[in-house]
Parts: sequence; C-alpha cells; structure tokens
Amino acid sequence: MTKWDKLLIIFVVIASLFGIFLVKYSAFNSGTKYVVIEVNGDEYKRISFGSNMVGKTIDINTKFGYNKIEIGDERVRVIEADCPDKLDVKQGWISSPGEVIVCLPNRLVIKIVAEDENDKEYDYLSH
Amino acid sequence: MNRIKKVIFLSLLVSLGLALSIIESSIPVPFIAPGAKLGLSNIMILSTLVVFGFKEAFAVAVIKSITFALATGSFSGLFYSLSGAVLSVIVMYIIYTYFNSFFSLIGISIFGAIAHNFAQISVASIMLENIMIFSYLPVMSLVSLFTGYFVGLSSKLVCQNLNRTYVKVFK
Repeated sequence: MTKWDKLLIIFVVIASLFGIFLVKYSAFNSGTKYVVIEVNGDEYKRISFGSNMVGKTIDINTKFGYNKIEIGDERVRVIEADCPDKLDVKQGWISSPGEVIVCLPNRLVIKIVAEDENDKEYDYLSH
Repeated sequence: MNRIKKVIFLSLLVSLGLALSIIESSIPVPFIAPGAKLGLSNIMILSTLVVFGFKEAFAVAVIKSITFALATGSFSGLFYSLSGAVLSVIVMYIIYTYFNSFFSLIGISIFGAIAHNFAQISVASIMLENIMIFSYLPVMSLVSLFTGYFVGLSSKLVCQNLNRTYVKVFK
C-alpha cells in the first residue's frame, strides 16, 4: 500500500460521492413524471402517474422475456420477471426522475422521466 | 518442453479463475447495489500479469470469460464479461508497466476493477441505447474500491508463492 494507492482511493471516493450527488441532484428538478418502458432500445409504453393508476400491474411480454411491473403512488417497481437473477425485482421501487430499473437478459429498461428531460440527458456526459 | 509446461501452467490458472468465478456467482453479495460482484477471478488474472506478462494475462482473461459462459450457459452475459475483462487487463498492464513505482498491486487491482465496471456499463448503454445507465457508475466504482482492495491484497500473496513455484518449474 503506497502513498499513491491511498491517494487513488481518496480520489475515487470523492469522485464517486460527487457523481452520486450529481445524479441525485439532477434527478430532483422534476416537472410531470412519466414511466417510460423501453425494450431493446425502443419505447414500448409510456405511462403517466395518477391516483387511478395506483396498484395497477402491467405485463410486458416480448420476444426477449416476460416482466410484470406495478405502478404505485408516484413510483414503480418490477414484481415478476423470468430472467435468471431477478435483479430488477430485487431493486424495488424507483420514484425520482433519472432513476432506472434495468433487466439486461430481457433487454428491458424502465425509467422515470420528467417533462423537461431533453436537455437533461446530456448532464451525464460531464462525469 | 518449457512451452508445454507454460501452457499447462496457464491452463491451470484459467481453471482456477473459472472455479473462483463459479463459486463467486453462488455467493450473494451483501451490498445495496444489485449487479455488484466480488471479482475474485481477477486475482488469477492479475497474478498472471505479474508473473508471466501481458500476452498470457490477456489469454487467461479471454479464455476464462468464454469458459465461464460455457460452464454457466449464460451467453447473454458473455459480451459484458468479455469487454470488461479485455479493458481491465489492458488498463492493469499499462499501470503495471509504466506506473509500477507509484502503485502497488492494490492500486492496480482497483484500476482494473473500475475499468471492468466502466467497460460493462459502456457496453450496456450501447446495447440498450440509453446513456442513463452511466448514473450507476459512481455506485459501482465505490463498491469496486472494497473488492479491488481485497483482490489486490490476495493477489500480492498469490504472487509471492507463484514466483517461488515459477522459479522451481521453469528454471
């Protein structure tokens, strides 16, 4: 363990904490929120939140696999999946814009977007 | 004769790395971040890099990724693990050759772990055409600090023993 190792560890800790903070921060300036479901890079469905949607479940059946998602009060989660590791189910609820649930085996991305997302997406290139 | 010995030695290292990967995939990782792994097979790759050299470490890393896909049958993950393995070996080689006086094996292994994560996240964002996946990189690099530290520590110990064996077998 040299001096440079310690410097590297300190640098990575600071950079990652800064990155996490940046992601959280840019995730908070929200307008109207949507859930966008993408399969294999293409938009599959777009759902807006509302009190009539709470507790509703949606089946996503594509040639890549099967997932079932549940809409909650301003949040969303995956409750069933046929992928082997079920990481998307274990991740639980996501609620703020910018958060994503990814299911790689089924090529599924569920993300929450705010209305003004167009110029926001490039914020992530800076870190 | 020496060449056969080397091939046998390297294939032993590959099978050790493969065994470590398979054992590791059945250990649940007690971290918040889903998708985080311990990266135990990096111990073997890093030791090969130190004891043999870049070409051999590259071969071990690539063959280990392919045989892991064959052993577990998860070919959807092959592309991710292959890209991670290739980039991490290249980064570790550069750091090991040119910055050897600055970083110990712990630092090199942390570099390798971060490069592995970076390659995997890049491939994921290209395949899913979604740059938002990069928001996951800070969490992963924070986790890879801990795993990289212990991988570096254990490969230091492995290298000490391996260097002794290497002299016995090849000299």
